Amino acid sequence: MKLWKRLMCTARRRSPWLFHMNSGSCNGCDIEIVAALSPRYDAEQLGVRLEGSPRHADILCVTGPVTRKAVGAVKTVYDQVLGPKAVIAIGSCPATTNVFIDSRTLDGPLDKHLPVDVFVPGCPPRPDAIIAGVAKAAEILAERGNNPPQTNVAIAAAEEVQQ
Amino acid sequence: MTLLTALARLLIFPGLLFAVPAAWFFLWVERKSVALMQERVGPPFMQPFFDFVKLLGKSTPPRSGIAGLLMRAWPLIAVSAAAGAVGLLPVLPSSGGFEGDLILLLALLELPSICIIAAGFSSRSIFGEIGSAREAALSVSYNIVFLLAIVSIAASQHTFRLDALASAPSTPLHWLGILAILVCLPAKLHINPFSLPNAEQEIYAGPMTEYAGPELAMWELSHGLEWVAGTGLVATLVAPHVSSVWLAAMIFVAISFAVVLLLSALAAATARLAIDTTVRFYWQCTLIFAVLAVSSALFMRFRS
Amino acid sequence: MNILTMMWKNLLRGYQTLLFPAHPRVTPRFRGLVQFDPALCTGCAVCRFRCTSRAIEFKAGKGEFTWSYNPGQCTFCGRCVEGCAEHALKEGHTEHALSQQEAVPPIYTMQGELKKSYTVARRPPTPKSAAPPAAVPPAGAAVPSPVTGGAQ
Repeated sequence: MKLWKRLMCTARRRSPWLFHMNSGSCNGCDIEIVAALSPRYDAEQLGVRLEGSPRHADILCVTGPVTRKAVGAVKTVYDQVLGPKAVIAIGSCPATTNVFIDSRTLDGPLDKHLPVDVFVPGCPPRPDAIIAGVAKAAEILAERGNNPPQTNVAIAAAEEVQQ
Repeated sequence: MTLLTALARLLIFPGLLFAVPAAWFFLWVERKSVALMQERVGPPFMQPFFDFVKLLGKSTPPRSGIAGLLMRAWPLIAVSAAAGAVGLLPVLPSSGGFEGDLILLLALLELPSICIIAAGFSSRSIFGEIGSAREAALSVSYNIVFLLAIVSIAASQHTFRLDALASAPSTPLHWLGILAILVCLPAKLHINPFSLPNAEQEIYAGPMTEYAGPELAMWELSHGLEWVAGTGLVATLVAPHVSSVWLAAMIFVAISFAVVLLLSALAAATARLAIDTTVRFYWQCTLIFAVLAVSSALFMRFRS
Repeated sequence: MNILTMMWKNLLRGYQTLLFPAHPRVTPRFRGLVQFDPALCTGCAVCRFRCTSRAIEFKAGKGEFTWSYNPGQCTFCGRCVEGCAEHALKEGHTEHALSQQEAVPPIYTMQGELKKSYTVARRPPTPKSAAPPAAVPPAGAAVPSPVTGGAQ
């Protein structure tokens, strides 16, 4: 069913649904994500929809350096995202914890807990950079297909929060 | 009506083969026109189709027990009810008359929202429960107006048969009923200003919170089919009676398209109303209006 | 009626969106990626001292030093550029090694992909540029010497 596979690849690239998760951010990057949905930058031209539930989304956008209290939540939300999925680290905080590098309340960059596919640097990144990151993640998703990402982090077994 | 014609009506036009692409088309029209009215460029043309295909390719969380079985069943019931409602619409001038009547059409139009309510409760997530409770309150409010409007149209024509209703001469009461149906359609289709069950900032995804993958694709499809059925109902009541099959089909599609544009303009212009304002709107303003319509219908009937 | 006229005008005017992948214009004061010029660097490491997020690393060696910059760690505050400019001015130089062009940092897919390192050989200190040597008091950076004044 080669035609179906190609159709599925195209559909995954053209319909990236996001779920946005804040793991302790200052909200600068969150505001730029909302600005990316505004008329000037309009992420919807790529088919992007900001969804209300992680179960609906393909791409998890994480902002903020991962605080110790947010680690469990980030992992749970990542497990709730289904099927072929991708993770975008928006801003320099989830990539490298930025200025909070010596903080006692953080638990490492996002790489330590989740396999990150795209890093969008900036403090905060411009909305067009965020949209470019989403487009890149959608391409990665389309090529990834049904194979889960290779990771050396022990992802917790998929405990269903709600059955 | 022979079996072949009935199957053609149910499966080809205005049944499944027409309804599913029309559902995607109307979903796109709504998103694109709302976007253009907000100075955005909006999604490309094939977007709802790609959303559907992508959702079919995602995995579903494992579900066990009776609740799991029910959760899998509700979207399928919703899709089949909405598709059946579209197939039942009296679009074409019938040769022999389809024997289904208005009550069946109303029941099929009701089922998707009942399925949404049941799905939210059977997902056993708190967001689903709150969303379903809101959907139930909304449903109770607008359904009374909706049913009264349709019943008044039927009462004025002394019949419940669909083809007779579609080809009946139009009276002022007829238009009053159509206006009442148009007022109820935003609530039925969950668009602004009555989009309460879809309040993402408050209740995540509402009744759909735990759904994913192909089940979510079915929910989106049933939403699109509800659009076709709702706007198609208005189109069949508004459309003039023509004898040619092709002309009737084109008029149906054109009037449905116009209703979709009207509803999208309404959705772009308004914000979401809270539950108390919504319920108050339907119970106070439009209920009075619908009661007047029914009583004048009965009055005209008993007078004649 | 206001919202309806607004919607109608929006429909007539058309969309105002930047179509992907167009980027908006970057203004001259935009603080983007830090650019390093190895030819001008004197190896004072003031930038590493002033950096808020440890994006700049400086490793001093015998006769050479290694300067590296990780844009993923950077917060684009501009303190390194200011420090380099101040220090260069204090030493009497006209140019300094760091500048923050209007370059938007690009997206990347692997951790540390954008990190750049430069190994610069130490130069013997150049004689002070032609300034009247007599009346140059060791003042702070606020006193521009006549030759270099206004060149910043």
